[in-house]
Amino acid sequence: MNFAAIDWVILVLYLIGSVGLGIWAKKFVEDLTGYMVAGRRIRTSLGIATFVATELGTVTFVYYGELGYVSGFSCFVIGLLALVAYTLVGKTGFVIEALRRHRVMTIPEFYELRYTRTVRLIGGTILFVGGVLNMGIFLKFDGIFLSEVMGFGPGALVVTMTVMLLVVIVYTVLGGMFSIVVTDFMQFVVLALGMLVATVAVLLRVDLGAMSVAVQQTFGSHGVDPFANPRFGLTFVVWIFVCSVAAAALWQPGASKALASESPAVARKVFFWTGITFAGRAMVPMFWGVAALAYFGAGQPSAAAMPRLLGAIVPSGFLGILVAGMLAASMSTYSAYLLAWSSVLARDVIACFRKTDLSPQTTIRVIRIAAVVIGLFLLVFGLWYKIPDTAFQYLYVTGAMYTAGALGCVAAGVYWKRANTPGAFAALVLGAVAPAAFLVLERFRAELPGWLAFAADVNVAGLLSFVLAAAGMVFGSLFTQRSHPPRQLPQGELS
Amino acid sequence: MTSGAIFWLVVFGISAFLFFAVALVVMARGMADLRDLLGGSVRGRRER
Repeated sequence: MNFAAIDWVILVLYLIGSVGLGIWAKKFVEDLTGYMVAGRRIRTSLGIATFVATELGTVTFVYYGELGYVSGFSCFVIGLLALVAYTLVGKTGFVIEALRRHRVMTIPEFYELRYTRTVRLIGGTILFVGGVLNMGIFLKFDGIFLSEVMGFGPGALVVTMTVMLLVVIVYTVLGGMFSIVVTDFMQFVVLALGMLVATVAVLLRVDLGAMSVAVQQTFGSHGVDPFANPRFGLTFVVWIFVCSVAAAALWQPGASKALASESPAVARKVFFWTGITFAGRAMVPMFWGVAALAYFGAGQPSAAAMPRLLGAIVPSGFLGILVAGMLAASMSTYSAYLLAWSSVLARDVIACFRKTDLSPQTTIRVIRIAAVVIGLFLLVFGLWYKIPDTAFQYLYVTGAMYTAGALGCVAAGVYWKRANTPGAFAALVLGAVAPAAFLVLERFRAELPGWLAFAADVNVAGLLSFVLAAAGMVFGSLFTQRSHPPRQLPQGELS
Repeated sequence: MTSGAIFWLVVFGISAFLFFAVALVVMARGMADLRDLLGGSVRGRRER
């Protein structure tokens, strides 16, 4: 076991502090707006902290570390794409400014404002399914990371996963967005410290020249050229850029930070400065992954190599800070995701089967029950499901199931007057088809006829989802303008 | 060291610096935002 007594002390103190703070923040929740978007009073620095903490979980470290280990430096391009996409959204206010101005609490609420309640129901259902499937592998990867770093081995996976989930469910269910923001801030500090500890340890123990040699010997020129690397290529780069723009603006856990901001202008600032950190968010763990390649050589289990390296090189005392940082990263991600998906289920799926919305008290009760049920599902799914391709590509393709259609619906809804309900339906359904087909077809990859092989390519499926969704919106709207005149967004004093 | 590796290591260095620099500023200024958020709630106003 790598963990010493001092590491345990740090870890236990962190866990007690985190849960205590989350439960304490519950007393500030006054109503549904407080529970879901913290009363829309979040300012820039706090918004950046909570956004970064949400989008940086242990799973993020593991999948980026895995990419560094299996592809060398060429995967660093993903960090640049994320930086450009998020700062672009922040600078222009693309979609997020309009969403914040219309004071929606979930993205599918916008569908009802611009289209119909049925579009909201379908969009909410796709978002919920895509989101929960996306989150389904988080626990597994967190468990791998923690058991490798702490030195428990794979046997401790179930226990690690269960304990982590229970802790997060308790404070998310009780305090909603208030607890999330308060704990996120503390978790942001701890995770940044943990990242710094790991990066310094890698720089001290692994030679940069050895990393270059390892990449050159293992991958040749593919290790530094993302366009030549068969795992990536031009299709991948275009897909990831479009997907990053869509995810920046429309991924509910992240977008909820814009929706909770004090004003549309603050929302833009939060996105811009968060975007500035996103290259580092990707490249720091990728760098650890490349270091693992130099330290161990190829042949380690790809997801476990990077955590195994950190467990081996980070000294006692600092290891406790590192693990507390990773737990902080995970807990802030889980809490935001659990609240996001349970809110969508309550407000945009269950409530949409009724003519009127649920009362605020009932909504909060349904959100709390949904968060517990989603947590249990994650535990079972995370243990059972075998991930196709790399974890990174799985996450992006399940994300595309929703973001492709959502990008078509919301971007067209905001910027194109002719967007109408049939176009929205077509965008949502067509956007989900390619990723869903990939998840099924990749299991029969060997038996697929040649003409269908493209559908089992994760990069093609991901990019295709955006092309189909855009085509669905444009042609669906243009062909039905007379039968379904577009509904325009409500005007008036919005802030 | 290959030129490709040098290029990506420089990009990594800049990206990591920006990450930790923004984190430092956010840590310093975020506390005030947090105080305002909690102090601005009905509960917070009642407690003052």
